[in-house]
Amino acid sequence: MALKLWASSAANALKISCSGARAPPLPAFSLSRCFSSVLDGLKYSPSHEWVKHEGAVATVGITDHAQGHLGELVFVELPESGTPVKKGGSFGAVESVKATSDVNSPISGEVVEVNTKLSETPGLINSSPYEDGWLIKVKPSSPSELDSLMGSKEYTKFCEEEDAHH
Amino acid sequence: MASLVLLLFEALHPEDADLAAGMPASCARVLHGETSSRGSKREVMRSSRRSSPEIRKDGGVMEEEKLPEMRYQKLKNNLPFNHLINQPPSPASLSPAFGAATSTRRHSPATSGATTDNAMPLQRMKLQRNLEVWKMGVVNYLEALKLQERLAADRKVGKIPDTVLSLQHPPTYTLGKRQTYHNLLVSKDDLKTMGAELHCTERGGDITFHGPRQAILYPIISLRDIGFGARNYVEGLESTMIDLASLYGVRAHPGKAGETGVWVGNRKIGAIGVRISSGITSHGLAFNIDPDLKYFEHIVPCGILDKGVTSLKRETEMDLPADEVIHEQLIMCFAKFFQYNDVKWK
Repeated sequence: MALKLWASSAANALKISCSGARAPPLPAFSLSRCFSSVLDGLKYSPSHEWVKHEGAVATVGITDHAQGHLGELVFVELPESGTPVKKGGSFGAVESVKATSDVNSPISGEVVEVNTKLSETPGLINSSPYEDGWLIKVKPSSPSELDSLMGSKEYTKFCEEEDAHH
Repeated sequence: MASLVLLLFEALHPEDADLAAGMPASCARVLHGETSSRGSKREVMRSSRRSSPEIRKDGGVMEEEKLPEMRYQKLKNNLPFNHLINQPPSPASLSPAFGAATSTRRHSPATSGATTDNAMPLQRMKLQRNLEVWKMGVVNYLEALKLQERLAADRKVGKIPDTVLSLQHPPTYTLGKRQTYHNLLVSKDDLKTMGAELHCTERGGDITFHGPRQAILYPIISLRDIGFGARNYVEGLESTMIDLASLYGVRAHPGKAGETGVWVGNRKIGAIGVRISSGITSHGLAFNIDPDLKYFEHIVPCGILDKGVTSLKRETEMDLPADEVIHEQLIMCFAKFFQYNDVKWK
């Protein structure tokens, strides 16, 4: 942490003539951010959730990019089966580093299954965000909503642009 | 030579020339990046006075504008902290003050600051980051919570800029989303007897205590604007408190994995508990200036056994200024880390 601060002020000191630049906080995990995995065949929301539509059921989780930015998850709050969800609306929350973050549903529908393993092992989301770390399964009420979500290439670009704000 | 350097400085940063003017000494110290470990007895004197001009060795008073050239260099090197405070913080009473939300947007970049942007086209490209500070005195926990919910909703739709509430609470215990009641070591009746409230919240983190002489900041900011996730944000809050502690010669550090917060040795001086919803933050940090630490004996603070709590008062050898000054410094450390170039004090 101290090294980060030092590096930041050193960078500031050296940028005397380039006052337009902002010295980024230089987070240590920035390297891993470049290698966040994005899977083809999934659809992605701007709040970093993914959805896999297979027949009558769509599985929802958070992306590798999201879990990396959250840190180690220690708690997951999920709805009960039968709960309705709305596209863009919050359906639960995850906790990491003393921060609870809402998780939003990329599609509307009804929750038909919930990943109960996560109450014991929330870290599954960190280690396997697209497989074992799935959050809920939803029966979609309007499958056409999927069309307005991002594909893998779009989402990769979206992440790059968002991270460039640093 | 000195005048050449000054000329160069003014050409690069015309607005910095005004920087020193009108700025309270507390904020100036944060900008200078001074820590008392480098300081002398004069540092101690300076820190214990509010908004007072520099005293020279010969006893004469130095005006802010006549600060030595080296100080200007230091100020300039603390980019992007230039042309920031348009209104210096006004002395606020510690009586409960609940400003009604006036959701006026900060004026456009073209008019902000004491500068004309003509001289520095490069500077224009810098992202304008506005922060609005509400200095609120002592506020009841639930009222502060309701205010945060309202402000977070406003921030989400862009009605208000990034905002931070600066306040203290009456004696209050709070639980996070996980509702870890088992870390409360007394009964609810005992709490009533000691005059403390207990509240459950949606924030992350375990049980903690808030009370008078503990500086609290509740930033309501958009993390999406800066591409930050929970981890970066929390690290920023930790850095904010570590920076502040260093102003008083206290070497604090972040906790190990799973022990988020700010520590001096194995004693906790600052706590964090945050909620992020649609990329907007609420709740925040609590920094112990000099609260009654006995209240912490009734809980397992943050659910961590065998580690103690401490305060700035206990850890520093310096005299502490009024709480209000420390709150201001904390805000400046926050503004510096999160690179706000325009800070408005309400």
